[in-house]
Amino acid sequence: MPVQTHAVEGEVFASLSNASKFYGSFAALKDVSIKLSCGEVHMLLGENGAGKSTLVSLLTGTNRLDEGKRTLRGADCPNLTPLEAREAGINTVLQDFGLAPTLTAVENYTLGREKTKGGFLDKAQMRADMIRAMEKLGVSIDPDARVDTLTRAEQQLLEIVRALGGKPGALILDEPTATLSHDESEHLFSAVQLLRSEGWAILYISHRMEEIRRLGDVVTILRDGRFVGCHRLADVSNDQMITEMVGREMANFYPEIPHNPTTVALEVKGLSSGQKVRDISFAVRAGEIVGLGGLVGCGKAEVARAIFGLQPIDDGQVIVAGTRISKPTPAAMLDCGLVYLPQDRRGEALALNRSVAENIVVEVLGEKNSATAGFVKTSVLGRLVADVMTRLKVQPAEPRKLVQELSGGNQQKVVLGRALSRSRKIFAFDEPTAGIDVGARLDFYKQLQQLCAEGAAILFISSDLQELVHLSHRIYVMHEGFCTAELDQGQITEERVIAYAFGEKPKEDIQ
Amino acid sequence: MTNARSSAGNAPSTPANAVSKLLSFGALPIVLIICIIIFQIGNPRFLSAPNVLNMTQQAVYLLLIAFGQMLVLLAGGFDLSVGAVVALTSIVSAKVMVAVSLAYPDAPYLTITAGFLATMLVGLACGWVNGFGVAIMKVNAFIVTLATSSIFAGVTLVTSQGIQVSGLPRDFVYGIGSGYFMGLPVSLYFAVPAVAAVFLLVRHMRFGRYIYAIGSNVRSAVVAGVNINRYLMACYMLCATMTAFAGWLLTARVSSGEPMLGGEFPLQSIAAAVIGGCSLRGGEGSPFGVLLGVIFITVVKNGMDLLRIGSNYQMIVFGVVLVGAVVLDRYRLERAAKR
Repeated sequence: MPVQTHAVEGEVFASLSNASKFYGSFAALKDVSIKLSCGEVHMLLGENGAGKSTLVSLLTGTNRLDEGKRTLRGADCPNLTPLEAREAGINTVLQDFGLAPTLTAVENYTLGREKTKGGFLDKAQMRADMIRAMEKLGVSIDPDARVDTLTRAEQQLLEIVRALGGKPGALILDEPTATLSHDESEHLFSAVQLLRSEGWAILYISHRMEEIRRLGDVVTILRDGRFVGCHRLADVSNDQMITEMVGREMANFYPEIPHNPTTVALEVKGLSSGQKVRDISFAVRAGEIVGLGGLVGCGKAEVARAIFGLQPIDDGQVIVAGTRISKPTPAAMLDCGLVYLPQDRRGEALALNRSVAENIVVEVLGEKNSATAGFVKTSVLGRLVADVMTRLKVQPAEPRKLVQELSGGNQQKVVLGRALSRSRKIFAFDEPTAGIDVGARLDFYKQLQQLCAEGAAILFISSDLQELVHLSHRIYVMHEGFCTAELDQGQITEERVIAYAFGEKPKEDIQ
Repeated sequence: MTNARSSAGNAPSTPANAVSKLLSFGALPIVLIICIIIFQIGNPRFLSAPNVLNMTQQAVYLLLIAFGQMLVLLAGGFDLSVGAVVALTSIVSAKVMVAVSLAYPDAPYLTITAGFLATMLVGLACGWVNGFGVAIMKVNAFIVTLATSSIFAGVTLVTSQGIQVSGLPRDFVYGIGSGYFMGLPVSLYFAVPAVAAVFLLVRHMRFGRYIYAIGSNVRSAVVAGVNINRYLMACYMLCATMTAFAGWLLTARVSSGEPMLGGEFPLQSIAAAVIGGCSLRGGEGSPFGVLLGVIFITVVKNGMDLLRIGSNYQMIVFGVVLVGAVVLDRYRLERAAKR
């Protein structure tokens, strides 16, 4: 694909200097400067709530700039609109709201830049363009499939393909590999490298050190909406980056969690549910963390949903503390002490426009001692909320704060707080650390440690390989709905989990 | 670079599309055929040529309004004020035509043109008010159009003092209202270009893509650089203009300006669109489906007339049909979520 970038290598494509963005009195971004140069991959690093998304929104024109200067292709543009930004060549892959679900892939691909002939859409041309862009990235998505029929990984790839089809110039990627498999990520990396050599300016947001090292030329680190540092990646160590991002040393990232298994708390035999869960058997004992790993879409999330009664079970048994549950429903499972913490916090776990306190107590409201004659005992519940919030260190520590005003990590704490509001024996966590920052992760790991020490049985579903490997006492790996491996403590390595997740056998085992 | 294998895969398109097609129309064609058979058995005149022409004539008005309603539904809103717009148009256009025909008694075409222009103005103005409320003031479409429905009805009653406006030109009443040309109702010739224009707009032009995108996911449309306000505004203005046009044709049909005209249209147009596959959440639906929905509503209405089911009972039936359509819509959503 011929690319007409007029830019010279190293020339500044877009920049913000001393930019600030306020929401009321809260500074989402204060006095931040960044320069995106042509032919350079610029990494942006920061915890959730550090202002990364705000910074991106200023570059794409979706937010107004309150203070500071913004330039695009050398020209000052104080009042940038999304349309102007696109025209200038800024292409974005945002995390969660890029696509229109009821339109087809090709309709989404061309959205906002439809080609017309005499006023009518030139559908053949647009299709050809999309296929060419897909070839560049090495992916194949059916152009006529509706977006809501695509998998999450396909949707993510479509977003990236769409960004590549825009006017050449800059590409902004916000955690693009979060839902991609290893192969797909590799395609993306080579596409990024190709674009860099063609002179695009690339802004890449990622939490994964490996990607940052591999792709980045420059890294800018933000913390609490402030600029902390900007380094060439060659001159900076991982520890230094993490320290700058978190604001303190990360001595031991994954806590040591003692393994003291006692009785079997949850047992699943031959569980099948829909297309994605086929004949799964495993057991979780009290006082241990059992990991469930595999690629995105391998069915590991559906296992927990089926156990908790959120999707119908076709075959198999669920046994909690020795009692067989014939037909799991959320109410029944909660009653026998199993709690499920869904992946989609905003969609399934929280009432976003209600307060922290209300969210935490919603499960206890039905219990006898929390209400007299239908009137809620505010003081009892208030104490409960206070206890939970201290235990979890919810920030800000205001029970009346609306949940939607909290950061991702603190929302996660509220979800956990709700689970802790009653005594539970079994916890099923589905991607608990997705989209939360390093500090909140560490807090969460400590909570896991405490729960495990208190004798809880924990089913831990995660796509983050490192955390899965480091925290789990035992791991079951899934591939396309089947369980391909059970790894005991001594056998757990990243390589083995990856191999089984791709449905292969690890090399050493073959020999 | 080669088109390397990706684990995202290349999903075969045909089954998925066939399934989604079937879901978007649902059992509608089958139900329609069953209804036609039942009505035909109940009254053999049902499929006779005069009655089919009669149904065509009846369908024209709903067709125009449902196509307007579709535009708004696709963009994720809806318009409850279509009934009030019909009544307002009827009164305003009739008053204008009566006034012009008094001033120029020998120029019937001038009179009709003046009435048509007045119709367009009423439609654009009503649509502008709705669009302003929804797009600019960012008020929920339900509230805006419920309120404007009351406003337009009030204006209609104030202007007409609740009295019919009679004395419309002969050519208007007997030509456009009940005339036939080459064996088909004249009003059909008026409606087809408007409907065809909406079809092209929705399926083959940028405008359509944008309203689907807005209805499907507003934020993605914003990020894609679509001027949301402009397109929402345009949707409501087009909807009201189509509706006003239908109101004008209906005025010719009933041969006078009627202040109480069109009360059934909000329900019937939304029912027709939803039965035809439009989603109440926006972003979904097709002109062909809406056409089927309009045919369905018209067939049921006419069939019940022929079976001598009173209009009071018909209201009950259409209420049930609308609820059924919304349930169908929910079911579609659940199916979509499962995939």
